[in-house]
Amino acid sequence: MTFRDRLFATVAAARAVIEEPGVLIVGSEVPNFLEPGSASTLVVSHDLDIGVPIERHAAVKSRLAALHDFQPSADEPSVWLPLGGDLLEINFVGIDAAQDPAEAYVLADAQLPLLVFGALSLVTPGAELVIAGTRLRLPRPAGLLLEKLVTDRTGDKGERDLLVALGLLMLMSAAERDELAETYRHLRPELRHVVRSNLTLLSLLGPRPGMPDPGPRRAEVNALLHRLEPSDQS
Amino acid sequence: MSATLERRVRQYRSRMLIRAFDYRQRHHAGGVWFRLRRLLAGTSQAHVISENDAAQLRQEGFRLEPVGREVDPPKMILVAPAQRVAALASAKEIPVCLGGELLSATCLVLVPFDAT
Repeated sequence: MTFRDRLFATVAAARAVIEEPGVLIVGSEVPNFLEPGSASTLVVSHDLDIGVPIERHAAVKSRLAALHDFQPSADEPSVWLPLGGDLLEINFVGIDAAQDPAEAYVLADAQLPLLVFGALSLVTPGAELVIAGTRLRLPRPAGLLLEKLVTDRTGDKGERDLLVALGLLMLMSAAERDELAETYRHLRPELRHVVRSNLTLLSLLGPRPGMPDPGPRRAEVNALLHRLEPSDQS
Repeated sequence: MSATLERRVRQYRSRMLIRAFDYRQRHHAGGVWFRLRRLLAGTSQAHVISENDAAQLRQEGFRLEPVGREVDPPKMILVAPAQRVAALASAKEIPVCLGGELLSATCLVLVPFDAT
């Protein structure tokens, strides 16, 4: 079974929550869905992140009983593990549009507690796709890319997240890059610095087997840095 | 049930505090690594060169990057076009990354990406 097959099967199995209005797919699988034909060749991690706007939390909770192929993890209550080996785990994260991008909090709940990362406030709804008979909503690439770049990136997980950013950058249109630059301009200086710092880290990452290679894209990363830097002359 | 999530939030906030400190230090010693990474991110090729070749490039007026003097031990980091670097007898190309070869070099010449 290919990764694409597993991803699509996971989407179908989680249809009850994914089709809930307001829910967004966020995280490492977005570039896979954005590839032509949702080819899913940009494999960075084996999970599916489901973004839940906090105002939709109750509605999503009401759909959990329909997740017959998953069960909540005892260790990480916002993670639901597949009951069968061919599906990916799903991670629920909270989205609070009013949250500061550098903050985080827990939306406490006995059934579905959520980690609400402020950086996800940069994410807004984008394209709708139909995958395995399931309507899913992706974020606009510019906001998701900034979310990846304003978040602290350290260690192995951090490097994988930067490769997600690379996957998004590879697929962005000129208009989406314009949107990225415009949104970046409105970030406060500290966050802009983190974005640029993470872009330099991305540029210097070595290749990893089976993952997008930053090497051939370094000139593009440099061009993006050049484009963003006029906002930061001080 | 949310203890794990609460712990992750505390860890996240700690990282944000460190990050804010790093940001305030960006023009001082704490910002050296960012400045070095930024220089390298704009670099298409990196070459280790001899001190004689480095001195020759300086005489020819090629730019010396100040960040090289901020690291310990200090390095002479010059920026020159690929055509000029190709004519240096001592030039040995190394990967553009913060690896052992680059960090242990005394003299480096970097070829920038085309700025256009």
